[in-house]
Amino acid sequence: MIKLINVNKAYKNKVKILQDVNLKINAGEFVSIVGQSGSGKTTLVKILIGEELVSSGQVFVGDWDISKIGKAEVPFLRRQIGVIFQDFKLLPKKTLRENVAFALEVCGQKQSKIDKVVSNVMKIVGLQNKMNSYPNEVSGGEQQRAVIARSLVHQPKILLADEPTGNLDAINANDVIDLLLKINDFGTTVILVTHNREIVNRLNRRVISIDAGKIISDQKNGKYII
Amino acid sequence: MMLSLLRAFKFSLQDISRNIWLSIITVTILILAMFSINTLILTKVISTSAVEAIKEKVDLSLYLKTDSNENDIFALQLKVNALEKVKEVQYISKQEALDSFRKKNENNPEILQALLELGKNPLSPSLVISPQNPNMVPELIEELRALDSNIIESRDFNDNRIILEKIDNITKRIDEVGFFVIAIFIITSLLVIYNSIKVAIYTHKKEIEIMRLVGASNSFIYAPFLMSSFIYTFIAVIIIILVSFPLLGILQPYLEVFFVGYNINVVSYFFDNFFLIFGLQFLIISLINVIASYIAVRRYSRV
Repeated sequence: MIKLINVNKAYKNKVKILQDVNLKINAGEFVSIVGQSGSGKTTLVKILIGEELVSSGQVFVGDWDISKIGKAEVPFLRRQIGVIFQDFKLLPKKTLRENVAFALEVCGQKQSKIDKVVSNVMKIVGLQNKMNSYPNEVSGGEQQRAVIARSLVHQPKILLADEPTGNLDAINANDVIDLLLKINDFGTTVILVTHNREIVNRLNRRVISIDAGKIISDQKNGKYII
Repeated sequence: MMLSLLRAFKFSLQDISRNIWLSIITVTILILAMFSINTLILTKVISTSAVEAIKEKVDLSLYLKTDSNENDIFALQLKVNALEKVKEVQYISKQEALDSFRKKNENNPEILQALLELGKNPLSPSLVISPQNPNMVPELIEELRALDSNIIESRDFNDNRIILEKIDNITKRIDEVGFFVIAIFIITSLLVIYNSIKVAIYTHKKEIEIMRLVGASNSFIYAPFLMSSFIYTFIAVIIIILVSFPLLGILQPYLEVFFVGYNINVVSYFFDNFFLIFGLQFLIISLINVIASYIAVRRYSRV
């Protein structure tokens, strides 16, 4: 599903963010990528969504080599990868329903399909009763669930969650993780980027640890070791 | 495709209405730019009409002896007409000259009375010569001076070339200043549009970021901003049309008084050349705005 071969990433100031990263994530896996701030986790996410290009090496999503992806191709990649960030990225002047629908509107979907898909994903994340609420009227956990709903509208094969629990209390964080597990059960590959030790240890799934841009461990049923 | 365009149009209208003051300022600057362009066009129309009117005034007359034989006059008319630089030679007989004189002085009873007391027609017949080209007048005058005929009593060469040159110079100066003013307005409007789009992008930075994140195509992200600049231009052109014609209507009677006897109609000029004047302005300013918007979006919408 995802394959990184000898990936290196350095910026113009020559600081190496990722060094010789080799990684393979199979379809349907739930993988946690852990590491301290500045370890290169977010850069890895940016490479996977086409926001950054690698300095050298190859990145495959399915059979698609995205290591030299063109600007015009990026939107198509992002429709295949659902992305969740720590800061939610919801539009405050739109209701939760409108925020989720927005992802389909901007991709030119028909209104009838938008209504159907939005209704389905809102049910999956358990927000069917809060569809007409604005982001500031719901809790952080509910906002993050709305973001997850939005990331699901394109029925992505991969869900990339970059610190999705960073702004949430323990209860809401666990709710979000449970939701990610539920989505993973449907067959979606979930990549969770986090530095939350408790969550990683509770999951007992594959854990890839990164430090100073290098993969230092890859455990099948891993724990947070850094 | 149609659905995407409609959605882009909806987002564009939201942009304009949510940043209403910025939109008003942008449209105002565009109106001022177009107003300056139209003022220059108007000046050009008026100065061209003035030059044409004065060119028509360039005429050269040969006054003939009162007792000249008409056959000799016709022979001289043919001879002058044969000159290369002559466009037309009009023969004004003694009687026609008298009739014209009476008409010109119909409100002056003293002159008419004096004419009556004279008891005879004191006016000479004449040949009025129109030049082919006002620029050839000096050479034509030389040829007419050299013309040998015993029926010529006097020669009157009314040369208006100095006035023409002055008008030409004024027109050129107006053109130079006008182009300078237009250039300033175009640059200003370009910067204002660029800035408006830049502010709109900052206002919608989060929206653009989410659009990119969820896989909106680049063209869909660009489209609302490009449409906004197109709508600004459209509104500005409509307003300038609505303002221009009443203003031209107010100006027209003054021009008619100033250019009495000459056909000058700025309202019909703008009306006859409506698509050329306003359509071209719309196209050019739209193009400039779209380019400015494209650069602004490219530069500031990276998230």
